[in-house]
Amino acid sequence: MPHDETSGFRPHDVTMPQLGMAQDAGKIVSWLKSPGDAVSRGDALFEVETDKAVMEVESPADGFLTGVSYGEGEDVPVGQVIARISDSAEDDGAPAPEPAATGKASDALPEGHTVTMPQLGMAQDTGLLVNWLKAPGDEVAADDILFEVETDKSTMEVEAGRKGFLAATLAEAGEEVPVGDPVAIISDARPEAPVARSAKDGGAPPAPAAPVPAGKDTTEAPAKPAAAAPAPKAPSARGGRILASPKARRLALEQGLDLNRLAEAGHPQPFHVADLEVLRTMPSPAPASAPSETPRRLTATCAVDGLSAFVPWAAETQGLAPDAILAGLAGASLGADGSVTVVVERLGLTRSFSVPPGRSLSAVAETDDAPALIVRDLRGTPISTVALGSEQTPVLTVTDAAAGLVITLECAASALDATAAIRLLTEFAGRMEQPLRHLL
Amino acid sequence: MAKAKTNTEDYLRMYRQMVRIRTFEDNANQLYLSAKMPGLTHMYSGEEAVAVGICEALTDDDRITSTHRGHGHCVAKGAEFREMFCELLGKEEGYCRGKGGSMHIADQSHGNLGANAIVGGSMGIATGSALRAKLQGKDDVTVCFFGDGATAQGLWYEVMNMAALWNLPVIYACENNGYSEYTRTEEIAAGSIMARAEAFGIESHQVDGQDVMAVNDLTRKLVDRARKGEGPFFMELMTYRYHGHHVGDINREYYRSKDEEKDWKENKDPIIRFRAWLVSEGIATEEEIEAMNAEIEKDATEAVAYAEKAPYPPANEVDMHVYAD
Amino acid sequence: MREITLSQAVNEALAEEMRRDETVFILGEDVAEAGTPFKVLSGLVEEFGTDRVLDTPISEPGFVGIAVGAAMTGARPVVDLMFGDFIYLVMDQLCNQAAKQHYMSGGKLTVPLVLRTNLGATRRSAAQHSQSLQALVAHIPGLKVALPSSAYEAKGLMKTAIRDNNPVVIFEDKLMYQDKAPVPEEEYLIPFGVANVKREGRDITLIATSSMVQVAEKAAAMLEKEGIDAEVIDPRTIVPLDEATLLDSVKKTSRAIVIDEGHQSYGVTAEIASRLNEKAFYHLDAPVLRMGAMDVPVPFSPALEDLTVPTPEAVVENARKLCAGELIHAA
Repeated sequence: MPHDETSGFRPHDVTMPQLGMAQDAGKIVSWLKSPGDAVSRGDALFEVETDKAVMEVESPADGFLTGVSYGEGEDVPVGQVIARISDSAEDDGAPAPEPAATGKASDALPEGHTVTMPQLGMAQDTGLLVNWLKAPGDEVAADDILFEVETDKSTMEVEAGRKGFLAATLAEAGEEVPVGDPVAIISDARPEAPVARSAKDGGAPPAPAAPVPAGKDTTEAPAKPAAAAPAPKAPSARGGRILASPKARRLALEQGLDLNRLAEAGHPQPFHVADLEVLRTMPSPAPASAPSETPRRLTATCAVDGLSAFVPWAAETQGLAPDAILAGLAGASLGADGSVTVVVERLGLTRSFSVPPGRSLSAVAETDDAPALIVRDLRGTPISTVALGSEQTPVLTVTDAAAGLVITLECAASALDATAAIRLLTEFAGRMEQPLRHLL
Repeated sequence: MAKAKTNTEDYLRMYRQMVRIRTFEDNANQLYLSAKMPGLTHMYSGEEAVAVGICEALTDDDRITSTHRGHGHCVAKGAEFREMFCELLGKEEGYCRGKGGSMHIADQSHGNLGANAIVGGSMGIATGSALRAKLQGKDDVTVCFFGDGATAQGLWYEVMNMAALWNLPVIYACENNGYSEYTRTEEIAAGSIMARAEAFGIESHQVDGQDVMAVNDLTRKLVDRARKGEGPFFMELMTYRYHGHHVGDINREYYRSKDEEKDWKENKDPIIRFRAWLVSEGIATEEEIEAMNAEIEKDATEAVAYAEKAPYPPANEVDMHVYAD
Repeated sequence: MREITLSQAVNEALAEEMRRDETVFILGEDVAEAGTPFKVLSGLVEEFGTDRVLDTPISEPGFVGIAVGAAMTGARPVVDLMFGDFIYLVMDQLCNQAAKQHYMSGGKLTVPLVLRTNLGATRRSAAQHSQSLQALVAHIPGLKVALPSSAYEAKGLMKTAIRDNNPVVIFEDKLMYQDKAPVPEEEYLIPFGVANVKREGRDITLIATSSMVQVAEKAAAMLEKEGIDAEVIDPRTIVPLDEATLLDSVKKTSRAIVIDEGHQSYGVTAEIASRLNEKAFYHLDAPVLRMGAMDVPVPFSPALEDLTVPTPEAVVENARKLCAGELIHAA
């Protein structure tokens, strides 16, 4: 078919065609025309190697071959513009071919594909580069480990992600690098002058067109950490799991019945609605009217330690100290009308805070008043269970569990009645699990 | 009713339709190669005379059923470029609102009951349409397009049997292009294809599928007789597909030689042949034909551009039309 | 009210619809003079002629395919598939063509087709003539599935099916054709997607389809003597399914058993039980049980065949255990 002269000539892109269902790049075997040559529509321009055979690619239009940006032997992704058919031999209207990544910005750095510090975990925005496993100038395969990064849980290996040569390292072992910052450059060709820099040099190029974060798949979160974080297990209640029908559980909850008592009494499981009758007729523990001398001890579990992720964020964005936050959450859980003084004991240090009513953590301030509540933060210690007896002031002790936390409330029977004790612990445990809900 | 094709307009229309099909396929192929078209499609290039010769003998009331290689039938039965390209790209303005794609493209307003991705899948539908015409005393005819490969499907024999028993107004049109996917027809069809239809007492004809006039003449005669209740009929049209089985079937020398392809393209092309005839009969000049080609090219380019910019169906369309109201 | 057999009820439904709408026609094997081997269609060819009651050769894919084409172009065919077991033969035409044409055409083509077939074992017809395959077709988007449990349902559902613009598969219980039930003389239709609470109760819900509805009713009568008050519900159509009625019931009783004559595994009972689990979880005081036919091909020998389908006694035993809080499966 003749080209259309009536509507004006537009330069045609010549792109790497779709070659077969499973192929996403093709190698140019040879050019059959030269830049500037006149070509007709249908003329073979170049040959491409596919996984079965060599294929000719035809010109889509009449004109002149210009803007040739890939040569023989080069692999070109499907869809990439390779050349243009223009209306004059000099028309080099080809857009510069999109490089996958070039280190154009800085003359001192070699050209190639950038490897960045990967996303490490939700609360972490820098990574400590522990050591390099490859040196500048080394040849690397896509799945070779380039370097190791320390996360708050473990040490993670980061892969090269593409085949080539390690042309530059942009951080030294022992340096902290922000997530997303360039850490290395991998070039296709062996570099003449490989570069090793420190992150402090600040000479890392601005992120080029398509930086390749380390790892195979740019859409995934970090490549395999050396030790995978275990999935949080369902919290195990003290004394083991209770089997009960969904309806029995719901009714028990609604009616304030404690299935634990039924379990402790040895009543056969699983419990059904009918078994709640038994529970109802069981002698209740010490009647609420007579104040009991027995100290109260309640425990709660949190599936996750929500606070530990919250604290760095709050520190960074609000300038809040961890202990103040802890005090604030505990104080709010008391639900008192006025200000409450909360003491926080951690790592041998004691600090005292005044927690005003309302949800503002930034209003928590240090004080010398006598406390209404003590929080003992034993996270990070080997202690898992406490039964320290009641003190003058109610104490909330936070300990690490296999996954998440256990929080123990101990107080004298006279300090808090049962309802208040339950309320305090429930509120505090909820806040420790999801601190952000405290702010709502 | 099928008109006698004695006037210039009709000849030019036939030529035009064939060029439209070829142009459409070239553009569709390009969309695939430039990785702009989702999925696969199956090119009809080379077989234009079959679809056009037959459909030019039909009215909008007459029905056709199509195959996975269905763009040719769709264009020949009156479809427009824009809605077709939109459908191939999965856009909302496509004939099927983007929900059918190339292999299920249907244009009910012109009597096209749809392309079908199941080989032989529409033979029952075509025969059923003919049954409906007979039961309701209508005189529309249904043409069932299928390929030589589909003669291996048992359904064809079942429905031919019933069509013959009940004298249904259906014409089975076998587009024999010599290949059933990647295998030569001789290797998959024992005996004679025509004889299969004849075994049911169905009058059968073989015709050069690259000769649009011959195809059209034969079809007109059979359609007229089918309207009178003399059907069913069978046509075997000898033709050739220039491209592979589907657009990704590019390296195909292992089952088909380049020489063979070249021979059909240069020596038996239906468009070149008809063009030469039109010119030698003084029905059109070369310049007029060039102008027609250019105009069709332009139409196609614009339709492609339109379709590329056209919107996809909105997300809530995904569970619409599962059931009819 | 007069009582007629299920066979007569289906016959009446077809005759009435064919009188009402001349595009409705019947095709299938032995449907005309023979009126089908089950004699359900006797008399129709005499009234409507062979143009509207067509005998076909033994070509199930062929005549179902033809029915699809006729439906797509303006007719309303009712296809008779002699045994539900033959549905395997017609799956492409039914599931790839009929079920999908409306969607694939973006809503432009419709397929108002009814496929009349049957289910039910214990007739000593052995493995290939005794299957209940409603689960296969219920799984395919685009198809509707009706399961009449008596003459009353059969007539009302058939009329609705014929007037529905979608492909509908109706399974009749082949063992019930001579069973009578009260059927009004006046015209009535039973809408799709509306379950029928056949018996109210407070202790346990028995959801049963088709042939199993009688089983559930008998079980309920037996349970009543033991002081267990069972609610019996017949969904009538599984696509669309009246979830709301089933959920309301389970919320009231806290216990359910779903009974269907398809195989125990991967069937209709699994789907319904799952929905109850998802949507009534916090109301359940016992696991939702499924009772289907055994996962075996239907044996020929009467001594064996009768073991393979749910019986009222088996239902009673399960219901009793659930109400007593006994475990049917290990905790």
